[in-house]
Order: sequence, then C-alpha cells, then structure tokens
Amino acid sequence: MKEQYQQFLPFLHQRLASRPRGFDLFSRELLSAFVRAFDDNTKTVYVSGYAFPTELLWAFDMVPFDFEIACNNLPAATSGHGSTLMKISEGKGYSRDICAFDRLIIGCQLDGQLPKGDPYLTSSYYCHGKAKANEIVARSEGRESILFDVPNEISSASIKYVGAQLEEIAHKLEGVVGKRMDLDRLKEAMRSSNRSRSSLLEINELMRCKPCPWDGVRAGLLSLAAIFWGSPVQERINGMLLREIKERIEKRTASPESSRILWFPWVPVQQTNIFTILRENRVSVPMVEAAYVWWSELDEDHPFEALARKALENYMVGPADRRVKSLAKMAEEYEVDGAIHFATPACHHENAAFRLIRDAFRAKGLPVLNLEGDMTDERNYSPDQTASSLDSFLEIINERSKNQ
Amino acid sequence: MSEPSIDIGSRKIGWLCSFVPEELILAAGLEPIRIQGRVDAIEQAGGYLFPKICPYVENLLDSGLRLKLDGVAGMIFANSCDGMRRLLDLWRQYVSTPFSYMLEVPKNLTEDAMTYFADRLLDLKNSLEGAFGVEISESKLKQAIYVMNEHRSLVARIFEAQKEDPPRYKGSELLSILSAEGTRPKGEMTPLLSDLAMGRGATGSGSKRGIRLLVLGNRIDRPALFDMVEKAGGSIVVFDTCNGLRHYTELVENSMAPLEALARRYLLKPSCPRMPGFEARLERVKLLVREFRVQGIIYSALKFCDYGLFETPQVEKLSKELGLPALVLEDDYVWADIGRSRTRVEAFLEMVRSKLG
Repeated sequence: MKEQYQQFLPFLHQRLASRPRGFDLFSRELLSAFVRAFDDNTKTVYVSGYAFPTELLWAFDMVPFDFEIACNNLPAATSGHGSTLMKISEGKGYSRDICAFDRLIIGCQLDGQLPKGDPYLTSSYYCHGKAKANEIVARSEGRESILFDVPNEISSASIKYVGAQLEEIAHKLEGVVGKRMDLDRLKEAMRSSNRSRSSLLEINELMRCKPCPWDGVRAGLLSLAAIFWGSPVQERINGMLLREIKERIEKRTASPESSRILWFPWVPVQQTNIFTILRENRVSVPMVEAAYVWWSELDEDHPFEALARKALENYMVGPADRRVKSLAKMAEEYEVDGAIHFATPACHHENAAFRLIRDAFRAKGLPVLNLEGDMTDERNYSPDQTASSLDSFLEIINERSKNQ
Repeated sequence: MSEPSIDIGSRKIGWLCSFVPEELILAAGLEPIRIQGRVDAIEQAGGYLFPKICPYVENLLDSGLRLKLDGVAGMIFANSCDGMRRLLDLWRQYVSTPFSYMLEVPKNLTEDAMTYFADRLLDLKNSLEGAFGVEISESKLKQAIYVMNEHRSLVARIFEAQKEDPPRYKGSELLSILSAEGTRPKGEMTPLLSDLAMGRGATGSGSKRGIRLLVLGNRIDRPALFDMVEKAGGSIVVFDTCNGLRHYTELVENSMAPLEALARRYLLKPSCPRMPGFEARLERVKLLVREFRVQGIIYSALKFCDYGLFETPQVEKLSKELGLPALVLEDDYVWADIGRSRTRVEAFLEMVRSKLG
C-alpha cells in the first residue's frame, strides 16, 4: 500500500507547484498521511475520519490513518479491480453480502498491506460493519479495537457518556505517545476546526450560485475523507477552494448547467460512467449530503462535551427523520431539479431510510432516482444499467426544469 | 419470599430484542409479548425496504403493515442493529401503533455505559408511565425482577437436563417452550416451566441418542431447522441464540437499585455478535461444547445479518481448532428454502456420523 500511494506523490507535488488547487492539496496531504502511517517512527492511529471528532487526534503527535479510505482508494479499487482484494477475504469465509468496503479492508489486512497501528479506533455510527472490520484487523495484530460508541439520541446522559469515552480515548493516546495531552493544543485544534467550518459554510453558500461554481461530488469526497478537521491542513484546503470558487464566479467560468441535482449519501470510489453522463448532460451537483455542515460550532471551553456533541449531531446519527428534514432543506436551498440516491448494497441503515426520503421528496414534487451500484465492488456495477437509469431520470429532470 | 402475583391485565406491549427488560413492562402492569414475524411471504414490506435487508426486520414490517399485530398497544424496539433502527423509523411513519419506543443500548461494557443504560431505562420507565397512566414503583419493579429471575432459573435448570445422555428434551420442544415463555402471560408460564424443570412433562422423546449439536446464531422463531435436524437423527441439545439459552443466562441482582441492576444484567449477560469482543463469545462456545458434550455446531444466521456474517468465519475457525464439524446456514427467517437446507443438514450429520465412527 505504501509504495502504491507513494508513487502518486511526485505528480501531486508537481501539480500543486504549477497550479495550486484545493482538491489537489487535499489529495496530496491525504496520500502523504497514508504513506507516513507506515513509518516506524510515527505513531499511527486507525480511525474513520468521517465518524470521529478528529480534533482530538490533532492534539497529539500522531498520524491518523483512515483505514477505510486508504484501502478503498488503492489503485485496484479505483480502477475497477477491487474484487481482487475482496476475493482474499471472501476466500476466508467473509460473505459477499458484507459491504464491499469492509471486505476490501479485511482483504488488505490478510494480504499484509496495512500499517501497524496503536490504537485502533472505530465508531458505532454510520454503520456497524466498519466497527466489525476494525475489530477483525486489530485482533489480527494482537491489538485492542476501541469502539467509540455514539447513541442515537442527544440528551445530557448521552453527551456525558460520549464525552467520557473521548476522555478515556485521550488517556489511551497519552499512553501511546508517552506524554500528557496539551489542553491548549486541543483547544487550538478546535479553533482551527471552527475556522474550517466557517469556510465550509461559505463554500456551501457559494455553491448555491447558478451555474454551480464547483463539483459537489468532490466536496462530498473531501467530507468523507475527513481526517484533517482540527489541523491547519483543512484550513488551507478550504481556503484554496474558497478562492477558486470565488474566482470562477467572478470570471463566470463555471461550467454551464441545464439542471441541478442533490446527491446522497455516498460517492462511489470505483470508476463509473455516472459523472461522465451527468457532465455530458450539463447536470451539476451543487451539494452532496456528506458535504453539508451538520454540526454546531465547537465550544473550546468545554472541549470533551463539544466534541461529544459534534459526534451526536452527525447527520447519520439519530432517527431518519432528521435526515429527511435536512435533505428536504438542502433540496430547497440548492434549488435542485431532482435527487439521486446512490444505493450501495449492504448499507442497511442508509438504504432502509430511502423510502422515507423518497416520500418526502415526492410530496414536494421532486423526482428521486434510486441508483443501484456499489461503492467499490465492480461485480455489482453495471454501466449499461446505470446509463439506462440515468437517461430516463434525466429526461424527467429536463422536462421539469423546462417547465419551471 | 413468596411468589408475588402481578396483575398483568390485557394491555400488550410488543418487544423485539433481548436487551429490552420485560421487567419494566411487567412492573407497569402491562403484558410483554416477544414479537415474532407473522407472515409466511412478504407482500408489502418490499416496497418500503430494499432487497438485502434482514428478513426478520422485513417480516416484522410486513406483519405490521398488514395489521397482523392486533391487540398490541405498544412496541419497544432496541437499537440492536442498523436494520432495527430503521424499522422503528418506518414503523412510526407507516404502521399505526399507539406507543413506540427506541431503547438505546450501549455497545461498551464500561461503568459509564452502565450508567448511561440505566438512564435510558429510567427514560423508558417514564415513557411507559406517561403513555399508560401507570406508576412503576420500586416495589413493583422488584416483584417483576423476582418473576423474571425465577423464569431464568427454571430455564437454566431445564437446559441443565440437556447435559444428560440422552438429553431430557428434544430441541424442538425447548424452542416451543421458550417461544411460549416470551409470548404467553408470565403467570401461566411459571408453573409450566417449574414442571419441566422438575422433569415432569418430559415426553421421553429426548431418549433417542442423536448426534449432540449446539446451535448458535441470532433469531430462530420457526422450528424448521430443529425439525429437520431431528428427522435426520441429530439432537439439538442446546441453542445459544437471541431467544435461546443466552437470553436467559444471568440473573438480575437484588442487592442494588433496580434500574441499575437491570442495566448491569442486560449489558453483562452473554453477549451477542452485536457487541464488540469476539473472544468472550468464542470462550462461551468452548464452554458450551464442553458442558453439553457437543459433537457438532450449526451456526444459523439470518441472511444479510452483518453481525452474523462477520462472526461466522471466527466460529468456523474455532470449530476447526476444536476438531468439531461445523455447518453454517443462512436462513430467510421463514425457512422457505427448506429443501436445500435439509440436504445440507443431512449431509452434515452424515459427515459427523462418519467422523464419530
């Protein structure tokens, strides 16, 4: 894995040197983090960045290793050959009914591709599959998997429970790095996160412009590989993106659009024909659900409580009703002509909410497409079927936007 | 302490998951009913869910949509898995039940988790009181704990008799007994369980010496697996499933405040694959294999159950280490594909037989 990611770095360095772009900076920093995770001299902490308040990790001298993103963005996975790694875990009895993301992670572990970590953090929210995959990987290394357990309700009791876990995790991290956490450093990480939050809010506000000045799909990818929240890296990424977007608006260089759609929830990692078809039809994606700012500003005076609240306020935590209202609000704010739900198999909590979301959208007269595919397993993806589904949907969308 | 009588009345509260304390329902003067899926084929739920969803969840939703849960005044769900979480969301929107509640269940076993769970039980208690205009006093709760502890002890004794050779009861009989324990009034079940624990009512049907099997897995409500095993000459001496021995193991402590005691018991009882920590469960498998002199393991998991799917390779590995044959079966809750399963069960038992010589 290390070598595979290392080979991309010179190219990204060069791109950034010649034409600095926020997404390229994000890519370079992410891949650099993956590579550093293998160094013997670094302390590597396994985490799912989108499901953990990473501000805590940036208070320590550690390298966060997002094992899900690292495994599922390997060239094999992104180029349509993810099954080569999945077959390794399937051969050991892990069913194809398990999420492809998790099969690929276990496949990487069995193939000896993963760095050593300490600790192996995982979270109960979003889904239970990744927590199980993390546990299996940690166990194979003779390590403990630490579950950050986040209930599906916000109350003083749940804030206390989640906050206590964060304090316990901080204590464990102190043990790993061999020194006490610097509270000022944590507070600075929280301030940094708040600054990044402000810039993301600004970005998201600009994304309402017509035509859409950036690719919401890329914003979604940024939000899912979220290990830099709390680090100045995220501030730089957001800062660059903001400048680019403003420039595109000022110079009117945004790609023309004939319609807009809201995309939820996940963006497939493997190569697909989806976004080519959308581009060819001048369909812009101003917002992807994952890129929305769903959490409150962090109160640095009560750090563990604030980080607990951030976890509990996550859009994938709590009753589906929260998501339904939030998505309906997004659809309105971004004046979309329709919505696409990317349904990856085995994503139980998410797919099972679709009917509720669809009904809410239909009540507003908004067409919704349930686009079946797979995040990573090319065996579950049909370009022809996808093209056919999208063509029919886009006809409806175009008709709708003409009539408005 | 003499057995208290609890006036249950006719207000039924459905519950689904082993983490839901029936004690709270009993103490509210309501009747707890462990809800099983009631349909044999899905007619409506498919339009609300997606194909790769837990068949138990699908069956429950279909049962609810088709109003096959008549007479249930309320439903208590537990956040046991992603599917259950969403079932409540769909239930609240599309199925009309006057009272519904989601019980948050921690996944960690720390003191903080116990405290949090006790807080959730307090919230459930308050919700039941508010919804049904009842008071759940500490004394009523202690009475309910007494009743449930007695049932647990009786079930433990019944399973203890399964260690005999031959086991006292057929596995299918035990499944039927435990199903009744979860669905019939507690007052009715106590004398029946007592009789069975004393050996009265043993039909002698456990006297045939069959291959001694342990069944692991999640939810098994229908007897299909048990029937086909027994017809093929096997004997399910113990099943450690969501509605099997695991559900009844560990008593609620009497020495501490009731809600705290309930929180501790329900979190610390033998874990299911929902909980982190494979090791503890694998140790329990070794214990059951030893104590019940098991000769083969059947892991029966509901199709698409992530917890089961992640766990089966661990159980298969353990089985190999123990030198025990293991069969992994995935079922659709109603066992519609009984022919194929029967072939596999028969082949498995043949293999065990030849191994045993």
